[in-house]
Amino acid sequence: MKKALRAIFTQESSFVFSCPAVLWQFVFLYMPFAVLALYSVIDFNEVTGRYFLTAFYYREIFTSLYIQIIFRSFLLAAITAAVCFLIAYPVAYFLALKGSKRFKTFLLFSLIFPSWTSLIVQVYAWFFLLEKNGFISWFLQWTHIISPSFHLLNNYFTIVLGMVSCFLPFMILPIYAVLEKMDKRFLEASADLGADRFETFRRVVFPMSLPGVYAGIMLVFIPSFGEFAIPTLLGGSKYVFWGSVIVDKFLRSRSWRLGAALAIIGIMLPILLMCCVYLGRAIRERYRQRQSKEYTEYLNANKDLWG
Amino acid sequence: MVENRKYLGQFLLPLVVGAAYLFLYLPIFVLVLFSFNDASFSISWQGFSLRWYEKLINSPEILNALQASLIVALATTFLSLLIGTCFVVASRWGRTSFFSNLFYVNILLPEIVLAIGILSLFTFFRIPLGYGSLIAGHTLLGLGFVIPIVRARFVELDPVLTEASLDLGATYWVTFRKVIIPLLMPSLIASGLLVFTLSMDDFLISFFCSGPTVQTLAVYVYSMIRTGVDPMINAVSTCFLVISSLLVFLLCSLKVVDQVLTHE
Repeated sequence: MKKALRAIFTQESSFVFSCPAVLWQFVFLYMPFAVLALYSVIDFNEVTGRYFLTAFYYREIFTSLYIQIIFRSFLLAAITAAVCFLIAYPVAYFLALKGSKRFKTFLLFSLIFPSWTSLIVQVYAWFFLLEKNGFISWFLQWTHIISPSFHLLNNYFTIVLGMVSCFLPFMILPIYAVLEKMDKRFLEASADLGADRFETFRRVVFPMSLPGVYAGIMLVFIPSFGEFAIPTLLGGSKYVFWGSVIVDKFLRSRSWRLGAALAIIGIMLPILLMCCVYLGRAIRERYRQRQSKEYTEYLNANKDLWG
Repeated sequence: MVENRKYLGQFLLPLVVGAAYLFLYLPIFVLVLFSFNDASFSISWQGFSLRWYEKLINSPEILNALQASLIVALATTFLSLLIGTCFVVASRWGRTSFFSNLFYVNILLPEIVLAIGILSLFTFFRIPLGYGSLIAGHTLLGLGFVIPIVRARFVELDPVLTEASLDLGATYWVTFRKVIIPLLMPSLIASGLLVFTLSMDDFLISFFCSGPTVQTLAVYVYSMIRTGVDPMINAVSTCFLVISSLLVFLLCSLKVVDQVLTHE
């Protein structure tokens, strides 16, 4: 027995050592999904004392306000990602292509730093700043831009503001990484071929940075879709999003089955989105391949033209 | 027109960058500043004082929360480094490298899903929530970071080094300890620091999985914020900021950030 175990251990050591991580993953990630899926389709009948299969909770979600809430979260995440992109691109461009070497390290450091503190601290910082007695309110009242009764907190704009400031570094870093790695000779080549700087940006730099942009959008869109603390603290209870509904279902109203169904739908949405992106890329790739194939065929067919 | 564009590049771009940094730092700056304010209401500056920090040190709840956070963070860092590194090294040597794609899910999914997943798993099997569920959840997040980072470094290593070591008569274990671990060290330190901060800062998983007995610092701060503005929260937040700035500084001085960024 001992011998057999020893043999397994030495021969299959790679398997043995990679097991803990895979096992951890299965027990604490995939099994919970199974449990959630179970919760969402199985209900308990109190009269007969039996469990039964039901799609009631999914129907409930699709026929009531919940689906609107999901779309609202989707919209919020999309707005956040778009605003982040608009701010992040110039910053990443500057960091990668303009700044001097020493200065760049400092800028990069100070970019990572805020995202390394707790999200709660970042949100509280905005909360403190925008609060009724806070710094910005005081300043705006002092300059008579707003009246004392005007609240800066608890509106949609503040939620987006908080989201963007928390997730901005996650958009900047991937774009920066791609631009930094880019071969700078392409810029020279483009300039040599007569393109001005705008043209170079439009036709060389931007297309080459697209992988970073996609990564950034994923990194911002998905967490902001599920975000709970920012809308709750900065938006008050007026704005309800997917994350806050789930918190409510699981921790307050205790309707776990509905919460589980909501969670399952929420998991499916980003996955679907990723599939769409992947599919789009595959189709484009196929299209490009066909184009180049057609071009080769064209060249072959007209060989005599070129001599 | 051309002049205009040149002007745009030289003037507008740094302006945008400056505005973005101001946007990121203004709230933090004000927050830290007012943690030294000698007034119970945040509105006006009443002079410099450390009384909120004093109150902080004398508050048993905060110290308990800090202790819980530290226990969870240390355990999470240790576990995810151990499991993650074993996985990376073993899966390269063997045939299990297919599994490494499984771990991207941990970062890609909204964190709230991991949190309720673990909550419902523990309740489903009637296991009480507490340190166990917290460490389980945080390690899940940690694996999602440790495995790609360590892997990026590991695939760069020259396989000749391990082969030489094995040829010279070292066992797998000795090779692992004396050759691979030292070579992986920068990435191990980087991902360890990352996981430690991640676990300290994490709010959602802690919020769902801590149960009634354990409270981490982030959850405690959240519950304080819900009751309203209090300069003591500023003081706690400042401590958070100081700790994480130290960690980032450490990370940057190790020059691993650039490496990780440009290799992924």
